[in-house]
Amino acid sequence: MTVPLLEVEGLSGAFRSPGGEMTPVLFDVGFALQPGVITAIVGETGSGKSLTALSILGIQPPNFQRSSGRILFEGRDLLALPAEEIRAIRGRRISMVFQDARAALNPVFTVGRQLADVHRLHHGGSAAAAMCRAIEALRSVAIPEPERRARQYPHEFSGGMAQRAMIAMAALVCAPRLVILDEPTTGLDVTIQAAIMELIAELVAERGLTACLITHDLGVVAETCANVVVMQSGRVVEAASTEAIFTRPRHAYTQRLLAASLLEDSAEPVPA
Amino acid sequence: MTSAAPYIVLRAEKLTKAYPVGRGRRLLALDGVDLEVAAGETLALVGESGSGKSTLARCALRLVEPSGGEVWINGRPVRPLGAMALAALYREVQMVFQDPNASLNPRMTVRQVVHEPLRLHLSMPAEKRERRAQTLMDMVGLTAAHLDRYPHELSGGQRQRVGIARALAAEPNLLILDEPTASLDVSVRGQILELLRRLQVELGLAYLFISHDLQVVRHMADRVAVMYLGGIVESGPTREIFERPLHPYTRALLSAAPVARFGAKRQRLRLAGEIPSPIDPPDACRLVGRCPLQQESCASRRPPLLNVGAGRTLACPVALA
Repeated sequence: MTVPLLEVEGLSGAFRSPGGEMTPVLFDVGFALQPGVITAIVGETGSGKSLTALSILGIQPPNFQRSSGRILFEGRDLLALPAEEIRAIRGRRISMVFQDARAALNPVFTVGRQLADVHRLHHGGSAAAAMCRAIEALRSVAIPEPERRARQYPHEFSGGMAQRAMIAMAALVCAPRLVILDEPTTGLDVTIQAAIMELIAELVAERGLTACLITHDLGVVAETCANVVVMQSGRVVEAASTEAIFTRPRHAYTQRLLAASLLEDSAEPVPA
Repeated sequence: MTSAAPYIVLRAEKLTKAYPVGRGRRLLALDGVDLEVAAGETLALVGESGSGKSTLARCALRLVEPSGGEVWINGRPVRPLGAMALAALYREVQMVFQDPNASLNPRMTVRQVVHEPLRLHLSMPAEKRERRAQTLMDMVGLTAAHLDRYPHELSGGQRQRVGIARALAAEPNLLILDEPTASLDVSVRGQILELLRRLQVELGLAYLFISHDLQVVRHMADRVAVMYLGGIVESGPTREIFERPLHPYTRALLSAAPVARFGAKRQRLRLAGEIPSPIDPPDACRLVGRCPLQQESCASRRPPLLNVGAGRTLACPVALA
């Protein structure tokens, strides 16, 4: 095994209610992201998969309180870094793609302008040069007529095209080591979903990126990811290579999840 | 097919819905669709966003007023019906919606939700309603204790069970299920599908099952109709469609669907670009410009949906040749 790019160790935490009550939601979560491949974090509603991902970037909800744990990235504990150092990592070293791309883009600026602004923020240079890079990035994610598309606003993009633009921003313009993708294809049609997943796999293979895919869909995982982390109710129940998870699942929950995903009759009801 | 003609619960002919979008242009959401659902069977409508599958369901019930064509429910034409007769018709056909959070009134208890159709459709007295409500809870795998709950006190799966109980209350013979499991986790999805299958057998229900989830469709449907850009491009028995899809759109759709199996490599048929605008579509095949099999003739006229035997229909002469 190579040295992981990122390691989450013993991450635990709870939500604080307005009355001060603590509800534990993450229990000793630990996993590693190997460089140059896609690792999936799979789980159902309430498994803690998104919260874990948001914690990596330090953008967890304000009422979440960590009680223990470390997140090691390139040898440094992200959770112990001062705010300005986290900001230097966020976007530039670790970027994120969200589920609803049209909601994540700013509706009052053109898509090209938003990509160009991000480029200048991270890499400097003139506005004109940044716009050229933005158009280049849109071309790289197979958006047709990138010059014209760059002048359009997010509402003029379809969901699939907007997600391509977000991936262009997060994976190309930001030029990070690690991209976290939070349900990037949920809500997209299957043909569009397949094309987006192909694009992500291509970018990872060609540019030496590392990706962490948060998803509830084991089908998406089987074709594109190298490793899988299965979470249930705030705990990691199993982590292994994709092949091992799909052909030799060891934890009962993984087995049930697989059966339910395939709608096999052996699918036992999973307790809530 | 048996020799006796099956009893047709729902029949639509040339059902059309066009929305005017200004400057004399029309958005053709539903473009002359024919379809039949027989008693006790499940017909699945599959297709992506904008294919018209939800518009078709809503037009069939006149929740959206169609702009052309006719619908018969249990043999009765639906379009001439007045408001009162239409309301009475909803005893025979009910709908289950995708998101039970949105389709259940948050201020009504489960009891009120389930009592309402009993009161409105069957004019049942209170005592009888309560007994029937308890039976319905039992049928959908809930208990009488759930009757006192509000929707927010239930899980997503339980809420969808309440949606199903409400739909069954007036004893319809057809349910229109519009993405009934799309907002549920996979483990809950299986339970709801199992429930629907059991109820279908027990009550002899016919289902018009709308879904974009091909795995679910394969599991549930007797027949499948594939929709694209407002029209049906292919239909037939589920097994036939999944094992030998003919229309290039069906093939692209099936080959794009992710399967939770390691090493399940498939030959992917790719379509170019994205679904085109449904505003004033040209008289050409709906897939023109995206199709890998495209020939010159495809752009000159719309290929009709033809009977190709074995209960299948297909709107692609190129795939047949």
